[in-house]
Amino acid sequence: MKASYTNALKYIKSGAKLCMILLGAMLLASCEKVVDLDLKDSEPKLVIEADLSDLDTNHVVRISKTIPFTETNKFNGLSGAQVVLSAPGGQKITFTETETGVYKSPRFAGAPGTKYSLEVNVEGKVYTASSTMPLAVKLDSLGFRKLSFFGDEVIVPLAYYKDPKDAKNQYLFLIKAKDEEVQESLTEDRFTNGNDVTETLFTDLDDLAEGDSLEVEMRGLDLPVYKYYFAIAQISGEGGPPVAPSNPNSNFNNGALGIFNAHTTSKIKTVVKLK
Amino acid sequence: MNQFRKVGVIILAILSFAGYGFAQNNLTISGVVKDSLSGETLIGASIRLKGVKDHGTTTNAYGFYSISVPKGEYKLSASYVGFQSLNRTLSLNKNTRLDISLKADNALAEVVITSERRDLNVSSPQMGLAKLNMAEVENVPVLFGERDIIKTLQLLPGIKSAGEGNSGFYVRGGSIDHNLILLDEAPVYNASHLLGFFSTFNSDAIKDVAVYKGGMPSQYGGRLASVLDIRMNDGNQNDFGVEGGLGLISSRLKVEGPLVKDKSSFIISGRRTYADAFLKLASDTAIRNNVLYFYDLNAKLNYRLNQNNTLYLSGYFGRDELGLNKTFGFDWGNSTATLRWNHIFNNRLFSNTSLIYSNYNYVIQSFIEQSDFKVKSAIQDYNFKQDFQYSLNQHNLRFGLDVIHHTIRPGKITASEASSVNDDKIENRAGLETAIYISDEWKVNDKLNITYGLRGSAFSAFGPGNFKTYDQDGNTIATRTYAGGDIVKTYINPEPRISASYQLRKSSSIKASYTRNTQNLHLMSNSTSTSPTDLYVMNSNNIKPEVADQVALGYFRNFNNDRYEFSAEVYYKGMTNQIEYRSGTDLRGNNNVEGDLLYGDGRAYGLELFLKKRFGKLNGWVGYTLSRTERQFNDINGGSWFPSKQDRTHDVSIVGIYKASKRWTLSSTFVYNTGNAVTFPNGKYQLKGKTVFYYSERNADRLPDYHRLDLAATLEAKPGKKLQSSWSFGIYNLYNRQNTYTMDFRDDPDDATKTQAVRTTLFGIIPSVTWNFKF
Repeated sequence: MKASYTNALKYIKSGAKLCMILLGAMLLASCEKVVDLDLKDSEPKLVIEADLSDLDTNHVVRISKTIPFTETNKFNGLSGAQVVLSAPGGQKITFTETETGVYKSPRFAGAPGTKYSLEVNVEGKVYTASSTMPLAVKLDSLGFRKLSFFGDEVIVPLAYYKDPKDAKNQYLFLIKAKDEEVQESLTEDRFTNGNDVTETLFTDLDDLAEGDSLEVEMRGLDLPVYKYYFAIAQISGEGGPPVAPSNPNSNFNNGALGIFNAHTTSKIKTVVKLK
Repeated sequence: MNQFRKVGVIILAILSFAGYGFAQNNLTISGVVKDSLSGETLIGASIRLKGVKDHGTTTNAYGFYSISVPKGEYKLSASYVGFQSLNRTLSLNKNTRLDISLKADNALAEVVITSERRDLNVSSPQMGLAKLNMAEVENVPVLFGERDIIKTLQLLPGIKSAGEGNSGFYVRGGSIDHNLILLDEAPVYNASHLLGFFSTFNSDAIKDVAVYKGGMPSQYGGRLASVLDIRMNDGNQNDFGVEGGLGLISSRLKVEGPLVKDKSSFIISGRRTYADAFLKLASDTAIRNNVLYFYDLNAKLNYRLNQNNTLYLSGYFGRDELGLNKTFGFDWGNSTATLRWNHIFNNRLFSNTSLIYSNYNYVIQSFIEQSDFKVKSAIQDYNFKQDFQYSLNQHNLRFGLDVIHHTIRPGKITASEASSVNDDKIENRAGLETAIYISDEWKVNDKLNITYGLRGSAFSAFGPGNFKTYDQDGNTIATRTYAGGDIVKTYINPEPRISASYQLRKSSSIKASYTRNTQNLHLMSNSTSTSPTDLYVMNSNNIKPEVADQVALGYFRNFNNDRYEFSAEVYYKGMTNQIEYRSGTDLRGNNNVEGDLLYGDGRAYGLELFLKKRFGKLNGWVGYTLSRTERQFNDINGGSWFPSKQDRTHDVSIVGIYKASKRWTLSSTFVYNTGNAVTFPNGKYQLKGKTVFYYSERNADRLPDYHRLDLAATLEAKPGKKLQSSWSFGIYNLYNRQNTYTMDFRDDPDDATKTQAVRTTLFGIIPSVTWNFKF
């Protein structure tokens, strides 16, 4: 239910918004304005984003450096790293750089239940992280439901799956509507352990209509990875009041930013249709 | 009751052995001071005797006074600002009981904003005390025209608002939960409505407000930074009365009157917002089905058994309700009840016994099919207090016992059979907080006054429950199960308190104080705003009591026949066992919250200047604070000290109230403070194709400075035969300053290749109007 719980907090946020709308409508509304700030730029920091799934594919590790706030958003790739993945039993897989900062493995499928470790050697320093790929949980089907907020009727997707009883599970849902906008929803089984779960996937997509295509990918996450994503969501104010910002705890050592995420994946693509 | 008498006698015996001795040839005059019209007891009224020996005192929280002097002829004067003084001569040849009624002075052509004896601020050893008169609260402009004692307090030096329009406050670098908020002695755990914009205190029901920023008297404890002691009206003893008001946000109604003439009276006061009434006007059913309102109910009943015994029963109940179109419901609120027995043992010994209940809870409900659930959470106190006040020549002793049983229910989840959600419960926690205290206000000589005391506080955490220990990273190492009633851990803390004043000249003094305070309940919030779901935790095997040591030094001076008062105070406060939590911690429904906590230190120091004009057509004050507040945690900011969210270098408030004519009162406030310490990004990177910000130092940046000017005007209607009415007009943020509430960073919605900083402003210029009536 964490999802539901998180959603409850979304509602509370909506409630706060409702207060503001009410007070604002009666009086004068709160307002947002884009402003110029003189932000201090830090030294560029190393960022490693490593993904390993149970799909038979070329897994990707992206290595980059942070850029100043005012610069155009871009992936500031870093060349010349040695990237090696180790599985238990001594098996080693070397990644090769295919474009600046992007390192790919040969084609293979990660094995659920395995603890992998990743070693990145770059600019004379070695960074390591480990992540355990959870046992796979299948996304059984998708459904849709109409909900109304503040007079707007919106269609929300539902994900159906069976949560395993013996494990502590964390999930990340990637929702792709009309083949483009990707939304995320993070949840865990703290309150739904072992159940047939109906997960309401709240998104900012308020114009979802019958007949639109919709794809949902459910990823099973390792706990530290979940916590990492949760921290990012918390800072941006998702799932409750915003907290004092700080960098999320990476599973890499030596002060690298980013995360090594060994996850399972289960995907369904469908067309929006109300029952 | 007999036992209490015994305990009292034993304590007195011990005290006399301790060298105080009963001065046999002194006589005592004692009694209760009341408002002649309403019969309300007057708190802090001044009683002075002139004759063989001069002596003075003020009435306590129940209007009681007691003075011991040698036999002889005396001139007694009783005064309370806003009331006509009473003077009489008396020859004291035996212990005397004298109850006094003072007449309200309706002819005053001015607003009077002090109720204290005029020079008490100079002569008393108490430091860091601010009192609020309800006349100030009525006249100072506030947001939406909702009178609010907490927002008026925020205009005093050393007390800072936690945010725009927010009723949370910081005292001398403390957090919101470092304030002990007492309503008729009952602690109020979440003193705000509507997500912080209004305080839970309906000013109609309130008689007296005192806030201690430092030099906390030893009868108070359990919080680090301050005590806000709010006393409710007792209810008119002589006549029935109805009072009320219609405002933009809410309406109020108060009914009071005698039940049994001269013995018993009652007061009931209610308030409800009706913002949601506008929702009902909407044509859209989906909007019409939303709910959003709060209400408050204060009630009090008193019964005077005889001259020496009075019973008081008071209660508060308030709730916020938020519902979204039958998919979601959320409500929260406080309820408190206090039963008190005032007993005058003899003309020197005054006793008050209190039984107190306090509860704060919230309920969240989701009605969404297949994922419905209900979460309940609560914190609940049962409290017994026994307080004695004993006056003995140059000594005023206060001693007693304070026992509180706390229960915290962090969360219980229930769901229907069809729901994906399992029933679950986070373990309850129980604790017993016990304190004994004694203090002595000692008038050493004409110049030197000392108050010294000791509060011994103990806290025990009890089973049943599973208590875990954690490693450095928050992983569970061991779990120990305790049965109900087993003591998990006990903490004992002696808290010495001392303050002294030395009168330099007739109207000036210097004061110094040292106090130690401890805190056993902690609010988990590193969030930037308060929320009704903020979680309290108590001491355990992992969490230790927070401790604060504060030293303060001050200069106090009155000018121009006490018309002006001036004070300058400097303070330094060191705090240990401060609590934050790791980034990414989920406080909700978490059985292992304690594994995610970080412990560190805090320090706060500053200078507070205060100049107040107390009488005249124009009065008001100027307050200025220069201060710094920092925290240090090994795991935050690389272990370096960083400015905490309470840190505001400069803080200015100016309040002016002008009685323009018999009918018009004008007032204005101006506030300025340095922007909050916040963390801005120092870089960015891409993750899952999205922008993530990089932060290097905690709270190294500042929001823009905050300032605002408010105006208010009150027009008293021509007095009718029965009905008296008045209009209050207000303008909040007159020059429409766009103060920054939050600064957010995001990708430009129109150009995803760019990031932008977005400033949110909550309130621009806001007019308000309220109609008040009384008959």
